[in-house]
Amino acid sequence: MRKRMIALFMMAFLVVGTLAGCTGGGSGDEGKKDDKANVENEAGDANEGDVGAGKLTVWCWDPTFNINAMNAAAEIYKKDHPQFELEVTEISSGDIIQKLATSTSAGNTADVLPDVILFDDSLVAQEVVSYPDVFMDLTDSGIDFSQFSEGKVACSVVDGKNYGVPFDSGAAIAAYRTDILEDAGFTIDDFTDVTWSEWIKKAKVVKEKTGKALINGQSSYNQVTVMLKSCGGSFFDEDGNLDIAGNEKIKRICELYLEMLEAGVYQEEVGWDTYIGNINNGNVAGAMNGCWIMSSIQAADNQSGLWAITNVPSVDGVDDATNYSSQGGSTWTITTECENPKLAIDFFNSTFAGSEELYDNILPSGAIATWIPAGGSEAYSQEVEFYGNQPVYSMIVEYTSKIPICMTNAYEASARQAVCTAISNVAFSGADLDEELVAAEETVSFEMER
Amino acid sequence: MNKTKFWIGRGIKNVILVIFSLFCVFPLIWVLIAATNTSVDIVSGVLVPGKNIVANFQTLSEHYDVFGASWNTIKYSAVCTVAAIVVCSIAGYGFEIYHDKVKDKLFGLLMLTMMIPFVATMLPLYQSYAKLGLLNSTLGFILPQVSTVFLIMLFRQNSRTFPKDIIEAARIDGETELGIFFKMFMPTMKATYAAGATIMFMNAWNNYMWARLIMSDNSAQTLPMMISNMTTGHYIDYGMLMLAVLISTLPTLIVFFALQKSFVQGMTGAVKG
Repeated sequence: MRKRMIALFMMAFLVVGTLAGCTGGGSGDEGKKDDKANVENEAGDANEGDVGAGKLTVWCWDPTFNINAMNAAAEIYKKDHPQFELEVTEISSGDIIQKLATSTSAGNTADVLPDVILFDDSLVAQEVVSYPDVFMDLTDSGIDFSQFSEGKVACSVVDGKNYGVPFDSGAAIAAYRTDILEDAGFTIDDFTDVTWSEWIKKAKVVKEKTGKALINGQSSYNQVTVMLKSCGGSFFDEDGNLDIAGNEKIKRICELYLEMLEAGVYQEEVGWDTYIGNINNGNVAGAMNGCWIMSSIQAADNQSGLWAITNVPSVDGVDDATNYSSQGGSTWTITTECENPKLAIDFFNSTFAGSEELYDNILPSGAIATWIPAGGSEAYSQEVEFYGNQPVYSMIVEYTSKIPICMTNAYEASARQAVCTAISNVAFSGADLDEELVAAEETVSFEMER
Repeated sequence: MNKTKFWIGRGIKNVILVIFSLFCVFPLIWVLIAATNTSVDIVSGVLVPGKNIVANFQTLSEHYDVFGASWNTIKYSAVCTVAAIVVCSIAGYGFEIYHDKVKDKLFGLLMLTMMIPFVATMLPLYQSYAKLGLLNSTLGFILPQVSTVFLIMLFRQNSRTFPKDIIEAARIDGETELGIFFKMFMPTMKATYAAGATIMFMNAWNNYMWARLIMSDNSAQTLPMMISNMTTGHYIDYGMLMLAVLISTLPTLIVFFALQKSFVQGMTGAVKG
């Protein structure tokens, strides 16, 4: 019995000892928490006199792009509000979603969530619908949403309410290697304001003369989105009901995509690195994606002057077809845990929704504004040598302003994936397109009911 | 004739082993080569060493606090490893030396928990830690890793090879139970401790999901968290990424090779005579 007691004592002693040793770090963190509370209290006191005094905490990713933009905004805001502080925590997009899910499930969002969170445009509506109490309604906040591209603003509108401040443009561009086009007897103008049917005909010529596919993509996921958004299409109707199986636009887009694939003018890649690799290597003659793809294209600096951009083809045979679309881009949201919402709104009003200087400063990082007034600045009209001296930034701002408004839905990503699966089944297993689209609708419907 | 057959057989075996070894070691060599190349070279499939390692390091240190993340990872891994092998060795020793039917059943129950994946316990664990106010703290990060069933099992199994006569002799000489554990058991079971430390260090070093969930501060970032952040930008700099992967891999390699001999002995349950 004595031995057992000793054994138990040994275990208890060592466990307690180990934990006590570890609490040192915890205590340090407690200290940090106290400091944070003090800063916030001080900020609160200061706020009585100056709305711009205080601290904002932000979650976002990519130090060269989003974090750089946020820090640049803080620098501008600090000029008039020297007591302003900004703390950016770098968290990847996927980790933000996971932390949001766990903290809301645990019911302790107050301890975890920051004041501002950045989301990919395709996820904003989904997150707002999933966690309606987490995000602040900005509709009557004083932020002038009419100065942003309509299509971009629509990404963060749920039930008629604005939940986000639009940030970078995801305007779709078609970028081509002009030297390869020249070898096939074409110029960039031959691919401007064209329909997909015309594009496929010309792409076949490029393939025949140079042996290269005109563009590539990582599955059909992004490409289908670009095509669908260009004609204001959606996987859902105005009431939020699924609209895949009988949707003429989706069917037409699938047919065009399958035609491109069959003709070998569109090359499907197995992963992101091969997608970028084949663009940089010149194994394909171009790229079609959100304008953020330019940073990857420009990584091959030995190809300076060999590239040019233009708008995307329009989907022929459907209503509302345009040559403008979007893919990607991101939006800032303010959480309901923000202790100083006035400060957050004033910050965004003075920067992302009101400062040409900010957008000029962050332009070299590749962040292109969706705030229309920014497009008129000198920085945006500069000619870029890499793209044969085209004024690419002002071109993209113009494209951004013409993107059609599309219906968004919390199950957008699931619907996209289901349609991609349908396309793969038709392309590689010889399945019937109509049947596959019905199956896709059933898959998403099951997920929505669950 | 037999000698010739022997040498041919041995040669074939060696060739097969070399081929399989190359398959195993290729990813590491590729990371090493990629860390010296530009992003464009890497995605183009270049497989020869380049001259971009310094530029990659400059980019890495410019955009990320690689030293801070390395220090955090070393700190957390070291504390986790020491705490885990002390706690688990005591538990394993206790289960074996003072064993009875109830403890055996308790051990069986513990073994069952090995079947439950971490993702299933993650949310309740997070909720508990949130209520205890342990979010964003070192203690919160370390606690779930301090006691692992696998390490308890390893120490329990290896305790079976520890000669009971030594315990009896020590008790007759008037040694306390605590003294027997620290003065007799620990020095004798060095190999098991080395094996346990190697496994625990690698697990703690590579721990990502729990670290990501519980830690929110930039200053608390570990290397796996930093590497994950590098893959979500508009433009992925593969050269910088591979250098970060290399920096993250080296310490675990060093620990493994330093303790390799003891690791093998420890896993096979050998007692150093």
